[in-house]
Amino acid sequence: MGALAGRPLRRREDERILRGRTRYLDDIDPPGAAHVAFVRSPFAHARIGAIDVPEEIEGVVAVISAAELEGRAADLPVQGFEGGEVSTEGHPVLARGEVRYAGQPVAAVLAESRAAAEDGAELVEVDYDPLEAVLEARGSEVTMTRWHRVSGDVERAFESAAHVTRARHSLPRLAPVPMEPRGAIASYDEAEDMLTVWVSAQDSHRQLAGLAKVLDRPEESIHVIVPDVGGAFGSKGAPAPETMLVAAAAIATGRTVKWAEDREENFVASYQGRGVEAEVELALDANGTMLAVRARIWADLGGYLMPTTAIPSHTTAMLMCGVYDIRAADVQVEGRRTNKVPTGPYRGAGRPEAAYFLECTVDAAARELGIDPLELRRRNLVREFPYETALGWTYDSGDYARCLELAEELVKPERHDDDARVVGTGFGMYVERAGGMFESADAELLPDGRVLVRSGSSPHGQGHDTTFAQLAADRLGIAMEDVELRFGDSKEVPRGAGTFASRSVAMGGSAVVQAVDVLKEKIAAVSAGRAMSLREVAEAEPGIRASARFESDLVFSSGAYGAVVEIDRATGRLRVLRLAAVDDAGTIVNPLLAEGQVIGGSAQGLGQCLVEEALYDEEGNPTFASFVGYSLLTAAEMPPVETAFVESPSPLNPLGAKGIGEGGAIGTPAAVANAVADALGGVWVDPPFTDAKLWRALREASG
Amino acid sequence: MKPAAFDYRAPASVDEALPLLGLDSAVLAGGQSLVPLLNLRLARPELVVDVNGIAELDYIHADDGVLRIGALTRQVTLERSELVATRWPLLTKAVRLVGHAQIRTRGTVGGSVAHADPAAELPAALIALGARIHLRSPRRARAISASEFFLGPLHTAREPDELLVEVEVPEPPEGAGSGFAEHARTHGDFATAGAAAVVAAGHAGIALLGAGPVPVRAEAAERALAGGAEPGEAATLAAQGVDDEHRRALCTELARRAIEEALG
Repeated sequence: MGALAGRPLRRREDERILRGRTRYLDDIDPPGAAHVAFVRSPFAHARIGAIDVPEEIEGVVAVISAAELEGRAADLPVQGFEGGEVSTEGHPVLARGEVRYAGQPVAAVLAESRAAAEDGAELVEVDYDPLEAVLEARGSEVTMTRWHRVSGDVERAFESAAHVTRARHSLPRLAPVPMEPRGAIASYDEAEDMLTVWVSAQDSHRQLAGLAKVLDRPEESIHVIVPDVGGAFGSKGAPAPETMLVAAAAIATGRTVKWAEDREENFVASYQGRGVEAEVELALDANGTMLAVRARIWADLGGYLMPTTAIPSHTTAMLMCGVYDIRAADVQVEGRRTNKVPTGPYRGAGRPEAAYFLECTVDAAARELGIDPLELRRRNLVREFPYETALGWTYDSGDYARCLELAEELVKPERHDDDARVVGTGFGMYVERAGGMFESADAELLPDGRVLVRSGSSPHGQGHDTTFAQLAADRLGIAMEDVELRFGDSKEVPRGAGTFASRSVAMGGSAVVQAVDVLKEKIAAVSAGRAMSLREVAEAEPGIRASARFESDLVFSSGAYGAVVEIDRATGRLRVLRLAAVDDAGTIVNPLLAEGQVIGGSAQGLGQCLVEEALYDEEGNPTFASFVGYSLLTAAEMPPVETAFVESPSPLNPLGAKGIGEGGAIGTPAAVANAVADALGGVWVDPPFTDAKLWRALREASG
Repeated sequence: MKPAAFDYRAPASVDEALPLLGLDSAVLAGGQSLVPLLNLRLARPELVVDVNGIAELDYIHADDGVLRIGALTRQVTLERSELVATRWPLLTKAVRLVGHAQIRTRGTVGGSVAHADPAAELPAALIALGARIHLRSPRRARAISASEFFLGPLHTAREPDELLVEVEVPEPPEGAGSGFAEHARTHGDFATAGAAAVVAAGHAGIALLGAGPVPVRAEAAERALAGGAEPGEAATLAAQGVDDEHRRALCTELARRAIEEALG
């Protein structure tokens, strides 16, 4: 590495952000735009009869329902996964004949202002015939996704096992709650047949592909611009039905159409994370060697498959061997239809579920066998790489034992029990899929000698502008100030995959260095050994440009987390006293930003442990439509987090990099859950660990 | 999240404001509760009467051992008042737990009392202190004891044509100590439960929040404590009427902490 990569440099984009010089979706205010408010279903499940729209509503331009979209917008596409069955029925842009969750868009009101649109939406009368709402995955009769794999002699392993541990766990649904809610603006140039869409999204590529598919237009006739984005956590990856409506409405009416959702819409209509339960069985021999794992997983997918709804629970299933050398596995996942908003990738996206289910089972096994949980883990860790798991993924590199050793050292385990409180320690390990597929970049030598890098991977809080500039400047031996990055405009940046799955550095960063390396060769060819500045090279040969498309298999980050928790006997209040986060994300480009990702991810993982839960009442109405009903952690609840990195370079990319964006969210819940169970003397409770649950568990524990 | 249409008036004095009040009007003070309710269209008044320009309602002073707090006094002003911290420290302890600093900067004392959220801190503290709530309408001016003012969640003894103008708080007995304890999911969030206590020789004022639909005065606990009972015993009495087992345990513990803090 050069002088910049590997250094903990501060984010150079922050000054612009902190001074308010950013331009988020709602900052874009096209003159003469029509504003959209959605009529959303108040019922979790109902048949829709007539939709009655008053003849004329003040300020209202148009009211659009499914009937008006006939032939103009298809349902959203559904992404499947390898080796399983996934229903092809996608989410309709507007409800047709039936609503399947409270909050589902039924009609769109276009008006001269958002306030007029909301007034108009109140006047649209929809005839609903309520139907019974299905709220539990296991109580649902509709399976939308199914995946089952048996590998190795599982039956025999269980028959011969000296011990079998059985565990049953669930994780609640979570709302992603980005600081900036979703939104889109569309305008249509009929003469050019060009549709332009500004959208708050994780990347332009998936929005573009989704628009082309739903609107049945050639991709060349769509221009997607992603402005500054105030967070997503997965929720702005797949295109939203609302974005499709905005685009279809712009084409139909010829008006520029804007939708900037409010917090209530974001809570009830943005796809959620988690909502999974599992029964896990672990077969061990008398020495504590893990022989086989069997898991049945049920995912509460909600009313429809959004484009990426099927993915997270498949990831959970594929990771059910975790960091352990388990040669036989029988894992099945069923994604069931329920009358709730769809789920989708949310920071971790299936990996926290796998770590939680498996790591809690490992702790239960340790307790049942009377073996120290760290020792039980050490006896079973994967130690040689590459390692192909029984379920079919190949772990590229790692040092799981070192991660665990460091986590123990950093967290300083503690156990205590008196009249006022109980204290316990727990650990959770993880391995996660990151990266994969492809990413692209191009690099151009500008006339003034600076270098412009266009990346297919775009930021929504990760710090690409700093990290990618570090990489590019290093390869070229120039200052970071002389590297400019551009993202998010489909007409400008090369076609890529996008920002998700902790893939930006490993994939996007690798594409950047490859493009820059080619640019460097072209520059060297021009200077041909003469001492020339880059400006001189640009003068001698204007417009030098290079591009790269980097492809790779999945890389597998890993880690070990430790938590020490205290439970107050009188009230049941849980306090996380300290957290240790040890992550192996391969070679780290910027340790400061990487640590920021770990702490941010841990905060989200802790939020899930302490307060977050998207609850529906018995009729299927969301109780989390505002911050009164859905709580987030504050800085006051954050314990000290000790972080450390183990760097096992990935052999799969030129940087040796893996992913770090999700580790905190993956490792933390498992570690905290095991610490809680430790404090409770082996009583298992699932998150969120509310006062009432823990108070009752403590009474159960003390018999 | 845009409110339904409403008319707006901003009177400059109480006399100007009073004729505007009625069944279809809402009083806008700090707006920390009303504005979200308007934006969610859960409140749909025909008229919003903005009292922020009524300077005569913004004061804190003490005369003859009685603290008088104008209804428009911002919570942050109460929080920072030396006078209040010295002689009515329970109010300082309670107001610090109201929302976050930003909320207290706009939120008013009168607004918190009139809104009557069952999780609110100031109502419980005022009950423990034996405060009186002053109301005015074109018909009359009256004062009502804080322990009789709160009738249900977001429901008080205030008539629709009345404006809450002042909170009057008697000085605690010589040598009194005070304590306030609460439990919330996160820092600054709505309280799950809480307890306020003022204790002196032969005197106790105790009130709980989160023990029911309104903040309640714990009279049995007050009598026991004034008669020399141990804090734990009084706390158990304070929470004895709470149905849910865990909530009862929580209220008992918070009452015990508040009483012990008051006893120093």
